[in-house]
Amino acid sequence: MLWKRQIPILIATVVGLSTLFGWFIDHAGVESFVNDDATQWYDILASFAIFLGALNLMKLQGKKVVKQQSGWQYSLFAIGGFLFAIVAGFIYKGNDAVEWGVHVTSKGTLFKWMFEYMFTPLSATMFALLAFFVASASYRAFRVRNLEATLLLVSGIIIMVGRVPLGSSISSWFVMYLLVLIIAIFANIKFKDKKITFGTLLVGVLVVTVWGALLGWPVDQPGLFYLPVLQDWIYNNPNVAGARAIMIGIGLGIFATSIRYILGIEKSYIGE
Amino acid sequence: MEKISDYILRAGTIDRRWIFLIIGLAVLLPLFFPLGLPIRATLATQKVYDAVEGLEKNSKVLVSFEYGPSTKPEIHPMAIGLLRHLFTNGHKVYVTCLWPDGQFMADEALEEVAEKEFNLTYGEDYVVLGFRPGNEAVVKGMVSNIRKLFTTDSRGTLVDKIPLMENINKVEDFDFIFSASAGYPGTLEWVQYASDPTGVPLSTGTTSIMVNDIMPMVNSGQVQGILAGMPGAAEYEALIGSPGIGTSGMDAQSIAHLVIVLFIVFGNITYFIETQRSKKY
Repeated sequence: MLWKRQIPILIATVVGLSTLFGWFIDHAGVESFVNDDATQWYDILASFAIFLGALNLMKLQGKKVVKQQSGWQYSLFAIGGFLFAIVAGFIYKGNDAVEWGVHVTSKGTLFKWMFEYMFTPLSATMFALLAFFVASASYRAFRVRNLEATLLLVSGIIIMVGRVPLGSSISSWFVMYLLVLIIAIFANIKFKDKKITFGTLLVGVLVVTVWGALLGWPVDQPGLFYLPVLQDWIYNNPNVAGARAIMIGIGLGIFATSIRYILGIEKSYIGE
Repeated sequence: MEKISDYILRAGTIDRRWIFLIIGLAVLLPLFFPLGLPIRATLATQKVYDAVEGLEKNSKVLVSFEYGPSTKPEIHPMAIGLLRHLFTNGHKVYVTCLWPDGQFMADEALEEVAEKEFNLTYGEDYVVLGFRPGNEAVVKGMVSNIRKLFTTDSRGTLVDKIPLMENINKVEDFDFIFSASAGYPGTLEWVQYASDPTGVPLSTGTTSIMVNDIMPMVNSGQVQGILAGMPGAAEYEALIGSPGIGTSGMDAQSIAHLVIVLFIVFGNITYFIETQRSKKY
């Protein structure tokens, strides 16, 4: 129990405390530990974690093939790919002119070939598929159900169109005419009176037209209705406010969890 | 009116394969037949450009590659644009990678720009330190002592024997940092562990989806501007006067975004009709 529980907790506490206080203690030895040694230890431990991860991957996929669980055929590809990478990385270079280690990124080697002709196209394909799923999902799920959903939808559309060059080609006057039309539709839904609907539409169109004629129809004026300006505002104000709130929340969460680890309250890393 | 509503509702149940086809065409056609839409630089992109322009000649710039093939279309054009800008202004470039596949991206970008376009000498004008595992620990290690972390460069040459590495021992020895980032570890780690503690100015280029996370730091001045996704790359290309992959991809992205918006609007019209009908009956 001492080796499995108390000692690991003691190590975590001592290392955690010394790393934390290292930021506040002006001592060369402590600073050296925090800035150099601790990070080197992390690198060494991370390297061991790669071995463990690889072994775990092989164990799980191998088990799937042996027991012929659903989708076991895919596991064959996973195992095959893993073994191929091992061969290309450690056993066969494919280009004797290149030294071991450097061969990973050098031209004419098996590893480089694997990266260029297998990993790159597969990885790019997987990511490219997102465009299709995003389009399909937004068509089916992006609905004006309530105020929050409407705000999300409107800001999403402004960002999507305003962020690309097409957005800067759309005149703010077009956006204003569109707004007049939307207001007229809502007036029609609310009052169900043709006079009010056409009145709203007519007044709106007249106001926008006279205003535009007076200003000479500049594409980016008034800025309030110009999509790139609007998307900039959304990025820099509501978005930044929300992102900051999330970051502060995450920071506090990390702080609380770290304190739990240092004090030995959180023991999930020893399986408790 | 009822007939039109029926028709819209029927169209609303369209098979998703048709949506895939339309999106595919919306992306492909502008690539074959470019529209040449005008590109206007945003303030965030302008800040990056100004930060690089403000560097004195022969400045030492650390460029970190933290992306792979999946995010290459977004980040690679900005990495190429930045390298062009740096080499045009006569700066020295030091490349490091927090992602293993970042080194492949860096080699590709440098081959295109440093070797083919500018005919520069490796080790004198630019150097690739390469990838080291350890995420933020690598950044922290570089802040403390680069030579302890990188004894050799990516080509296996001892760092001590590389002329460009003379007087380079830690992050503070650089004049500027640029992080071409597609996630973790990336820009956030460079800000937290390198730029903020040392005061070395940092700019970044990220995927569009990461902009939300980085924008607070741009507004607070911790990050000198941001190249946001492919539009950011196209804007940067426009600023340096060298249109590239970013610019050519913007027409496709514009049309694809427009099509998605039209889908959303159409989807909401069908939703509205459905809601009205369910209320009626």
